[in-house]
Amino acid sequence: MSGYPFYFLVTLGSVIGLAVLALVPFYVLLIAGDILMTRLGDVDPFSRSAKFIGLMFKNLRRNLLRTFLAYLAIFVLVLVVTGVWSILAFLDLVTAEKSRDLKAIVTERWQIPSQMPFAYAYPLSQGAPEKEGDIVIGPDDSMTWQFYGGYTERERDKQTRDNLVFFFAMEPRKVLTMMDGIDELTPEQLRQLAQAVEIMEKDKTAVVIGADRLATLNKRVGETITVYGLNYRGIDLEMKIIGELPKGRWGQIGIMNRDYLNDAIDAYPAKHRGERHPLADRSLNLVWLRVPDTETFKKVANQIMSSSAFTNPAVKCETAASGIGSWLDAYRDLIWGMRWLLSPAILVVMSLVVANAIGISVRERRGEMAILKVLGYQPRQIMLLILGEAVLIGALSGLLSATLCQVFVNELIGGVPFGIAFFPSFKIASAAWWWGLSIGSITALLGSIWPAWTAQRVRVAEVFAKVG
Amino acid sequence: MANEPIVRCIQVSKSFRRGSEEIRVLQALNLEVPEGQFLALMGPSGSGKTTLLNLIAGLDRPTSGTIQVGPDVVSAMSENELARWRTRHVGFVFQFYHLLSVLTAYENVELPLLLLPLSAARRREQVLTALELVGLLDRMHHRPGQLSGGQQQRVGIARAIVTNPTLIVADEPTGDLDARSAEEILNLLGELQASLNKTIIMVTHDPRAAARAQRILHLEKGQLVEDSGLAVAAGGAAAP
Ligand SMILES: Nc1ncnc2c1ncn2[C@@H]1O[C@H](COP(=O)(O)OP(=O)(O)OP(=O)(O)O)[C@@H](O)[C@H]1O
Ligand SMILES: [Mg+2]
Repeated sequence: MSGYPFYFLVTLGSVIGLAVLALVPFYVLLIAGDILMTRLGDVDPFSRSAKFIGLMFKNLRRNLLRTFLAYLAIFVLVLVVTGVWSILAFLDLVTAEKSRDLKAIVTERWQIPSQMPFAYAYPLSQGAPEKEGDIVIGPDDSMTWQFYGGYTERERDKQTRDNLVFFFAMEPRKVLTMMDGIDELTPEQLRQLAQAVEIMEKDKTAVVIGADRLATLNKRVGETITVYGLNYRGIDLEMKIIGELPKGRWGQIGIMNRDYLNDAIDAYPAKHRGERHPLADRSLNLVWLRVPDTETFKKVANQIMSSSAFTNPAVKCETAASGIGSWLDAYRDLIWGMRWLLSPAILVVMSLVVANAIGISVRERRGEMAILKVLGYQPRQIMLLILGEAVLIGALSGLLSATLCQVFVNELIGGVPFGIAFFPSFKIASAAWWWGLSIGSITALLGSIWPAWTAQRVRVAEVFAKVG
Repeated sequence: MANEPIVRCIQVSKSFRRGSEEIRVLQALNLEVPEGQFLALMGPSGSGKTTLLNLIAGLDRPTSGTIQVGPDVVSAMSENELARWRTRHVGFVFQFYHLLSVLTAYENVELPLLLLPLSAARRREQVLTALELVGLLDRMHHRPGQLSGGQQQRVGIARAIVTNPTLIVADEPTGDLDARSAEEILNLLGELQASLNKTIIMVTHDPRAAARAQRILHLEKGQLVEDSGLAVAAGGAAAP
């Protein structure tokens, strides 16, 4: 638990640090925009609009402190919205039902974590066909999951998170047909993975480990390691690292041949005065089945749920999306609040920040608005000037905020170490720069409508009656 | 031709409302200004000099009466028409210069030209001509804050003449300047009239400034009164 305040402080520090750092590119952009508009001011088709936009850039530099403060506020708020929306978009993505190629997950019905007898593995993999006409799932479309985790250090007091590794124990070839994310690999990565699978099928002690985890363990491909069981206490396995999984999604996991684990469970009594391992009858964690459509899914789910073979313990069959969906149900209020309370509230606050900054600036410049009117500028042109200034701040800070946040989180620290469902870390959506740009511009536009309206209503005669 | 009135005010009245009270500032006022005349408007504070100037320059509309500048009936125009008309036909010079502080002298002078359909090259040419006329070519990249009061007022005059307007109006253009700068500004205005035949209406409190004009009018109780000493140059003076 002590981790959370720490993460919070680190996050807060990073956000503020990022915002202050980003003042530099913001200021550079303000100047660059001005220079660009001055140059374009000599090029005929754009020349008059360029000069007008140039005036907006210049006005933003009139009171730098105020512009910077508005910019910082928008920066931080856009950052928060980007984060929140990324989480929401991500959840939408993982809970969205695909109507084709559904993944059905079979787990123990009443208990989390799910622990089923390994005897369930074979019938479940086929979808539990019992009578003529039942659907039979093919070998390429199923996969059994068993989890084996342990330390590479024998001594209890040396066992830390850094020498801990988790393996998915499965039939090696299923990696190539069933794993999520297989389609994200390059042809070269795929070829290497296929090679590794071949070795793992022949030699059950062969394993592959994610590149990130290997680095943390400080091990290399080719080394042999002994893993001291964490969940399977007393089952220690000697393994040959024959390959590494690419960084990213699979970067932290290991994959091993399920026969190695199951043989070790079977051999356990011989070394322990005939006593079976406590997990011996509970070693199957889940079974994945791939079905082509919702219709098939319903039939298979029905076959499994109504079978008398799986009663003690009972099992359930649901789609991956609904599985994650039910896990998320616990957080439903929180998610609802983020979507419908927090995000709108932040947008409103952003508009108010802009309204305030632009409002002050307009009040200070009533005289200049009046002069523009005297020279012949139309009310709508004066409105445009004010709206333009606001949108410039909004767009620049929104864009910088979302883009820097994306680069920082995704590229520099490789995702926020906060796992959701089966995903090891959370990343900012790739559309974030676009969100930032539009959120920043639109809220700034909304916030500046009222100040712009008052600016264009300045009555020339009154301003000069006062001044003169 | 030279005596053709370019500005014509016929029975112009203007009153303001302040709460329930009605302030009648101008009352059935008549005025004709011939083309190319340098006219000075004098009168006590609050007599309505600025009000009259604003009406002629199309910043405000009279309560009743007609105002004509050249062929245009200014008093009948809508606000948008007035704005467009001002750009082409009136140049303003203010007591407090009223330059945009973020723009350089050059950019300030260019500001009214941005409203006209001119090429970038033509615009540049006009700005430089105006700046040369007021003798500030060497200061064109300075901002108002880097210029003296007199120099700022010269930028103001350059901005007023850059569109080559029909009429130049100046509301106490020397009111905020020391004697020497004031002298320079008056020389400049005199020169605009003499060599470019510009029509200039200048409000001033300063008799010495007024003396530089060809004609002086006094505003008293809502009416114009010709200055006894100088009422010579213009034939078409006020009223019957
Ligand atoms: N927009 C307005 N609303 C109400 N009253 C106004 C307005 N403009 C001018 N007045 C009033 O009209 C009268 C004439 O004002 P104006 O500014 O024309 O005087 P002025 O002769 O220019 O004075 P000064 O020499 O002090 O500049 C004053 O009583 C003034 O208070
Ligand atoms: Mg006045």
